[in-house]
Amino acid sequence: MGSVGVNVPSGIVIGISLVIGLVMVIVFGYTSDQKAIHVAKDRLKAQLLALRLFQDQIHVVLRCYGRVVLATGHYLRLAFKPLLLVIVPMTFLIVHLDRYLGSLPLSTGQCFLVAARMDGPNFVNQASLLLPDGLSSTAPPVHVPAEYEVVWRLVADKDGEYDVNIRVADQLFAKRVVVGSGLPRLSSIRIRGRFWKRFFLSAEPALPDNKFVEAIDVQYAARNIKFASTEWNWIWLFFILSLAAGFLFKGVLGIEI
Amino acid sequence: MKWGHKSSRIERTRFLICLTFLGLVLFCPLSSHAYAGPGAGFAVLSSFWTLFVAFLYSIYAFVVWPFRQLFRLLRHRRAYGKAQIKRAVILGFDGMDPELADRFIAEGRLPNLAKLRQQGTFRKLRTTYPAISPVAWSTFMTGVNPGKHNIYDFLARDLNNYLPYLSSAEIKGPKRSWKIGKYTIPLGGARIKGMRRGIPFWHFLGEAGIFCSVLRVPVTFPPEKFSGVLLSGMCVPDLKGSQGTFCFCTTRYSGNKFREGGVRVPIQRTASHCTSYVPGPENPLAGGSGDELRVDFEIYPDSTKNQARITVDSESFILKVGDYSEWIPVRFKAGVGFSAHGICRFYLKEVTPEVEVYVTPVNIDPGRPDLPISHPVTYSIYLAKLFGPYATLGLAEDTWALNEKVLDDQAFLAQCYANHEDRERMLFDALEKTQQGLCACVFDTTDRVQHMFWRYLEEDHPAAREVPRDQRPTVIQDLYARMDALIGRVMKQIDDQTLLMIVSDHGFKSFARCVNLNAWLHQNGFLVLKAGKTESGDWFDDVDWSRTRAYTMGLNGLYLNLKGREREGIVEPGIEAESLKDELRGKLDGLADPASGRIGITGVFDCDAVYAGPYVDNAPDLIVGYGDGFRASWDSVMGKVTSQIFEDNLKAWSGDHCIDPRLVPGVLFCNHRIRDSNPAIVDVAPTVLKLFGIPLPGHLDGKPWTVGTPISASAVATAT
Repeated sequence: MGSVGVNVPSGIVIGISLVIGLVMVIVFGYTSDQKAIHVAKDRLKAQLLALRLFQDQIHVVLRCYGRVVLATGHYLRLAFKPLLLVIVPMTFLIVHLDRYLGSLPLSTGQCFLVAARMDGPNFVNQASLLLPDGLSSTAPPVHVPAEYEVVWRLVADKDGEYDVNIRVADQLFAKRVVVGSGLPRLSSIRIRGRFWKRFFLSAEPALPDNKFVEAIDVQYAARNIKFASTEWNWIWLFFILSLAAGFLFKGVLGIEI
Repeated sequence: MKWGHKSSRIERTRFLICLTFLGLVLFCPLSSHAYAGPGAGFAVLSSFWTLFVAFLYSIYAFVVWPFRQLFRLLRHRRAYGKAQIKRAVILGFDGMDPELADRFIAEGRLPNLAKLRQQGTFRKLRTTYPAISPVAWSTFMTGVNPGKHNIYDFLARDLNNYLPYLSSAEIKGPKRSWKIGKYTIPLGGARIKGMRRGIPFWHFLGEAGIFCSVLRVPVTFPPEKFSGVLLSGMCVPDLKGSQGTFCFCTTRYSGNKFREGGVRVPIQRTASHCTSYVPGPENPLAGGSGDELRVDFEIYPDSTKNQARITVDSESFILKVGDYSEWIPVRFKAGVGFSAHGICRFYLKEVTPEVEVYVTPVNIDPGRPDLPISHPVTYSIYLAKLFGPYATLGLAEDTWALNEKVLDDQAFLAQCYANHEDRERMLFDALEKTQQGLCACVFDTTDRVQHMFWRYLEEDHPAAREVPRDQRPTVIQDLYARMDALIGRVMKQIDDQTLLMIVSDHGFKSFARCVNLNAWLHQNGFLVLKAGKTESGDWFDDVDWSRTRAYTMGLNGLYLNLKGREREGIVEPGIEAESLKDELRGKLDGLADPASGRIGITGVFDCDAVYAGPYVDNAPDLIVGYGDGFRASWDSVMGKVTSQIFEDNLKAWSGDHCIDPRLVPGVLFCNHRIRDSNPAIVDVAPTVLKLFGIPLPGHLDGKPWTVGTPISASAVATAT
């Protein structure tokens, strides 16, 4: 994905949205109780119509409103089972896609920050930076003892994938930095510890669990995708397009959602 | 330093978003579905939308309610100001017979009606001339005689060609159309014109601010606007525009046609399955060529399991032999943008050696009505959403199918009671919604079941001679008990300020012998056939109108072939016409059945004597009152002259009420004491108006009853 053109992200989001819209509708159709959902939706609509038909009778309006709430709960309960089935793969997919579509890689000549968060104030002054060829520091590090943080401002001379190493107490802690264009897989933070936390936040292996460095992050800019003359965060665009695709395919496939 | 803080905050925020995402999905789905794909997105959006719309509606109702009340007060329409009751609940049991009710009460079968009789009121209710449902219910709702509401029978005759048409409503195609080659594009919808005149009493109540829920009262199609909700009943057509045309699909197809009420359709066998179709309405694009639209379906018989899988459009279902399907939506497609939506039920009759499937008449889909069947239109949709699809056809119980032996007794009853249960659900919903005002609901089941099962109530009905007496089912007894149980459940819903009235439009009697009045007219020289003919076809085919003085069609009407009125009339209005009427009355009144000596006609009534109003000219000239056990023959009703005047009625349709109205009064039960000794159905409307304190319009023919105190609620509870 690293060398694709500028317009490709929107194309990928549109394509994925359409496919996901179709797949999810089919999965929903097979995993849900279609008849029960149909009935539940009809009951909901009936209560809405009752509100209009019997609007002069305030006791009916009140009772209908209560039934709308109950019927909504019932409908959501019916939608819950297929939801549970699609939610796990969807979560994995979205987290994975976000690594490619969520942020922009750094540009050559663009200053960026690398911040290391330590386990305690004592380690802040011990941290030093080892830079590979192609990266250079543009300012002295900033130490923030209150936050246990050290921040470096760097710049890249050329495109490439670099490992920035931070040395603390003779141990090295690396962080991948990507400079270039296209759709590289980006991980803005490297952390240690729990799997689920790392699953959602980082695409890099865990930091050593040795009480020196808690996290290292690089500030990538958020990626905006141009679609319909508007700049979008990819996940909103995905949400809207997959919903539209779902609406389209549910009608075509006759699936009740 | 600032940048570093920002970076970690973003990460923390991302992490929290991802973490809360799962939690929200699991415990509070409202805001997290954006991440879980379109299915979840729809669920959230539609739920939120529903709640939002409901919220807006309720706010709107709350805000507007005082203004509406104020508006009413300013217009001097203060509802209930002079009302003696808070609510009137009228249950119409079409055809409930006072003598049978009395008998079954005496036998202890009807405890709730017994309590009403004991502590409230039970009277015979005088019916209309003739005692036919559309006539009587029109009088019930308008409080006027037929001369003012213009309904005299199911059918009326076209003076230009002596052919019948439906008396209650006229449905025509769109006013304009656009012809392109062989296609005709209709510009606009169907035109529906109600033929019933007079104003239903719930219109007056509505104007006074009294809410009304009116369910399935006959001759309310097309529905009229008023302040309340109404679902039309008897006279609502099926999708073909008829009063009910069933479809019998069979591999035994021989080309024989049913005389009326149904069509026979062949089933084609293929190697793996069978195919057939449901005939639908005329193709609106075919420019009146008569081409009908069809919906094809496949049958996959499984003789080992005695069942079949049936596939219609996207619906697929399995039926055992003897089972009905649910209501299945069918869509008749004429072209892009032109389709008709209906619903029907399939009944698997046989899978081996032959395959036979009965399909009910295609009802207008209440959830997507192509013709208005309720006021407002959304009311039928509301009921369909709340309870699922339901029968909308006026005569929804398929009596023709039982008559033609396409359905057996059990299958017919199953159909009747399925419809009945739907109506009960609608009634109880209306009762809940109408805590004040009028709730009126008519049940047809009583009429249809008595029509079709009277044969088992008699010792020697010609249509039941093959069934041993000890094996005859107690269908009508069970029916009355069922209706009594319904009354019991309704009584639990009402209080002392509610008037509960159970009325029927007419009673019932045996229909064992058929009288072909056209044959009598022919044999007595009043009706003349063309030279060489001894019988006519349907609708007076081969009748020589230039020499015919009188004819009959429909159930009770006898018409003079009046000069200047009928196209080929020969009877001079005035003295000649009056003299002819006298002659006919003299000869017909007391006409005896030569087989038994019993009186076949007990009265012939001059319309000038029994009707008054602006539409009397449309009435038959004479109303024929048949005796107990007799009715107009099936042929006579259809304008056919046969050689026999009297013959046995061998059809399952074995009870009737289209006879001398004096012999078939309806019932009036009430939880209040009514002092009048001889009440009539025409009095119901003025009575209800008076009880709600509404001034009586001057044109009403009925007189309000003197209504006393109600049965106390505690007494009712004890009975139930």
